[in-house]
Amino acid sequence: MVRGKHVILSLVCLVLGFMIAFSYHLTQMENKQKKPNVSDKLWEKTLVLRNQLIAQEETNRMLQRDLNKKQEKVLKNEKNLSKETQVFLNLAEDAEKYRMFLGKVKVSGKGVKISLIDGAYDPKEKNINNYLVHEHHVFKVVNELYISGAEAVAINGQRLTSQSYIVCNGPVITVDGIPHPAPFIISAIGDPDVLSSSLNLTGGVKDQLVNDNIVFTLEKDNEITLNPVLGS
Amino acid sequence: MWLPFVGLIIGIILGLLTEIRIPEEYSNYLSIAVLAAFDTLFGGIRANLQNIYDEKVFVSGFFFNIILAASLAFLGVHLGVDLYLAAVFAFGVRLFQNIAVIRRILLTKWSTRKEKLEKS
Repeated sequence: MVRGKHVILSLVCLVLGFMIAFSYHLTQMENKQKKPNVSDKLWEKTLVLRNQLIAQEETNRMLQRDLNKKQEKVLKNEKNLSKETQVFLNLAEDAEKYRMFLGKVKVSGKGVKISLIDGAYDPKEKNINNYLVHEHHVFKVVNELYISGAEAVAINGQRLTSQSYIVCNGPVITVDGIPHPAPFIISAIGDPDVLSSSLNLTGGVKDQLVNDNIVFTLEKDNEITLNPVLGS
Repeated sequence: MWLPFVGLIIGIILGLLTEIRIPEEYSNYLSIAVLAAFDTLFGGIRANLQNIYDEKVFVSGFFFNIILAASLAFLGVHLGVDLYLAAVFAFGVRLFQNIAVIRRILLTKWSTRKEKLEKS
């Protein structure tokens, strides 16, 4: 009887011990699991750090946006610069061209050479002026050349400018104050065919000059070099 | 006399070694069951000291109280009423009462034995 009692009691104790130990074990494990989350200080620290991170990311994003805007600006500026360079290049080319037209620099190119020589002495002709080259003959030739598209014209190697003047001065003609005796060689840069054909028109300049007993020769030249205007 | 202690130790070892995981919400029921077990155990000790110990009452009370407490807590959780508080309260009060009774009985036994020793 006492034995049975003890057996039953021990069974009860076994169940009790098991339950107590199991409960204890469970609580312990729960505490262990909770601990990393439970610590308030740690949590606050994490929160602060997370907030800092978020703020940092926002700043980064703003800066990135700024950077993008600035890069766009830089791109625009670069485009403008390249455009300006283009403009400057064009300007430089223009300036070069205008300088050529104005006679500031030495120019060379295809063209024609025209020589006007006084006619041979004719005893029948009483007036000597009838077979001399006059300034108006030179004028005619020069004007015709300019009209036909000559880019640069020179008389006896002296460049003519838009302000040049040609004056008859007795036996010589002066171009911009510099006397030039006959014969006159007028060189012009331009399309040789156009220039020569315009001068050779029937009833044109050549015929008129020949009518005035002037020896008119015209030759095309592939390489005419004109010196810059002196004193310009 | 040593058999119950052996049972207790084996039970504790088993409890510590088991790796059974029960969901967290059921741990409440276990606590209530432990409380009920304690209550019944101390009730049994008291009954034993008062010489009104009945083995059938003790054993049936032990298991029945455990199950009742656990099911009460379960019911309370599902009804939205904290019924496990009632169990905790009831078992707690009885636990303290039983312990107090045990202490008084032990004290009176101790004092009577002392008187007897002095007389003799």
